[in-house]
Amino acid sequence: MKNLLLTIIFLMPLGCLGELFLEITKGSEDPYRIAISPFDGDVRTSNQLHNIIRNDLMRTGEFSILDEELLLPIRIKDDELIYSDWKLLGMDYLITGSIIKTKNSIDVNYEIYDIHKKKKVRSSKVFGIPNQIRQLAHYTSDGIYESISGIKGIAATKLLYVNETKNSKSISAYKLMLADSDGANEKVLLTSSEPIISPSWSPDGKKVAYVSFETGIAKVFIQDIASGKRESVLSKSTQISSPSWSPDGKYLSLTLYQDGNAEIYIMRLRDRTLTRMTNQFAIDTESSWSPKGNKIIFTSGRSGSPQIYELDLRKLNPKAKRISFEGTYNAKASYLPKEEGIIFVHRSDDGLFHIALKYKKENFIRVLTEAKMDESPSVAPNGNMVIYGIKEENLSMLAGFSLSGARFKLPASEGEVREPAWSNFLR
Amino acid sequence: MDEKNTMKKFTNSFLTISTLLLFSACSSMQVTEESVADQSVAGVSLATKSTATQAVLANAVVYFEYDQFNLTSKSIQVLKGVTELMRNNSKITISLEGHADERGTREYNLALGQRRSESVANYLIANGIKRNRLITKSYGEERPLSLGSNNLAWSKNRRVEIK
Repeated sequence: MKNLLLTIIFLMPLGCLGELFLEITKGSEDPYRIAISPFDGDVRTSNQLHNIIRNDLMRTGEFSILDEELLLPIRIKDDELIYSDWKLLGMDYLITGSIIKTKNSIDVNYEIYDIHKKKKVRSSKVFGIPNQIRQLAHYTSDGIYESISGIKGIAATKLLYVNETKNSKSISAYKLMLADSDGANEKVLLTSSEPIISPSWSPDGKKVAYVSFETGIAKVFIQDIASGKRESVLSKSTQISSPSWSPDGKYLSLTLYQDGNAEIYIMRLRDRTLTRMTNQFAIDTESSWSPKGNKIIFTSGRSGSPQIYELDLRKLNPKAKRISFEGTYNAKASYLPKEEGIIFVHRSDDGLFHIALKYKKENFIRVLTEAKMDESPSVAPNGNMVIYGIKEENLSMLAGFSLSGARFKLPASEGEVREPAWSNFLR
Repeated sequence: MDEKNTMKKFTNSFLTISTLLLFSACSSMQVTEESVADQSVAGVSLATKSTATQAVLANAVVYFEYDQFNLTSKSIQVLKGVTELMRNNSKITISLEGHADERGTREYNLALGQRRSESVANYLIANGIKRNRLITKSYGEERPLSLGSNNLAWSKNRRVEIK
């Protein structure tokens, strides 16, 4: 009955109701019930893995994980798991595993059992080295998530964001940071006394582009993550901002201020040639590529207020098509990975800024957050989660939600954090 | 289980294509082997350098309305004084640094700050100051003068600083 009700709730928006919000807390009412048996092998490593896997899965909002004290020993009869033990506990899946640790390596083996179908549905090995325990756990979480939900997991992806700290004299230091998708394993990519904004991933996850004010004016830089090698993308004297990498990694869309006004250009990275995409008296900025790379969306003030427009790159001299109509401020849009909709910043009638979603097939928007100053949404590569910036008691921090019900926050370990950017799949 | 999986797709508002993939994934046991990717990271630290410019026209600041970049009559009074100073000191070059309040997106605010800076430049040019004596730029919402999240703080942050 519960299933039926939920189906109705989620089918209704396909009709014509104008103000139905996506009820994202509903998903978790009927989660996958799973048990994760402690992995055989080194107990400390097993506990570490278990905690990380548990967090990864809970963050998706799609799982209910059996409390450790309720776990049963694994009983095998005639080489077969005794499924009835787990059926009695109401489990949908059981996960078992083992850790093989040597001086130079640490490998994880795990199995997933479907309790209802009474069969093993997955048997996997992940190979790593001893300082990669978090990565091993994320790979395992993604395997579990994929086998059970049928959707690629994002635990092993990464985040970029900007950290700002102030010293005792209120002088700011800005850092471009890299972290695992759960906020752990933070690394500094760049430290500067001048602001850094708009980080953007290369599709292969090896490079980042961002805006740095280090020369006293906004400029776009590309930096190689592994080597730290960095360069300014264009040697123009004017302001350059808002970089976005094309899905094939060959182009960077940018905002140039050559005539004093923000206009969108596409730069071919191979030879740095520029193609002008907009030519308007109004502001045009915040370009972002469609998943197939055949379109860009951007924010334009040409109607008198910021709205979202789409350009079809396959056409000769394409004309920008307005795609946001609700409200007087819609900006910083990006496509969902299957292009089924867009996520953007929307100003509500009360003047507050929220993250909103508009599906292509629908003629209304869904407002997904409710703080005051939500900004910079970035969609996970599987399209199931969004991370964005919030302000709480005057401090910027990151928050996220999954489209199936979970919400999470990532406060800064120090100072403030903002401008999150979710990487592509990295495994 | 299948019924439950189907339901999940609706809760995720996902297309049915993922459901189909799921069914095929369930039909036989999946066996995988993978190695964790190497993740070396090199951090870069930029040498601190002062970007403070010499204050020729200290405290010349003009303010703007929310979402606007047109000059107010009060701004024009300030700019008349700046024009006078520029005429009397024909060698100086000034930088017009546009700023926005924290509301709205960062890149749009960077562009808005630039428009404010250009508004000031256009006024000065219209009053006989040469374009090559003016540097327009924007910090968007990145350098607020006042840190609060209220109307008073915001009104102080929507500005062009003339340096």
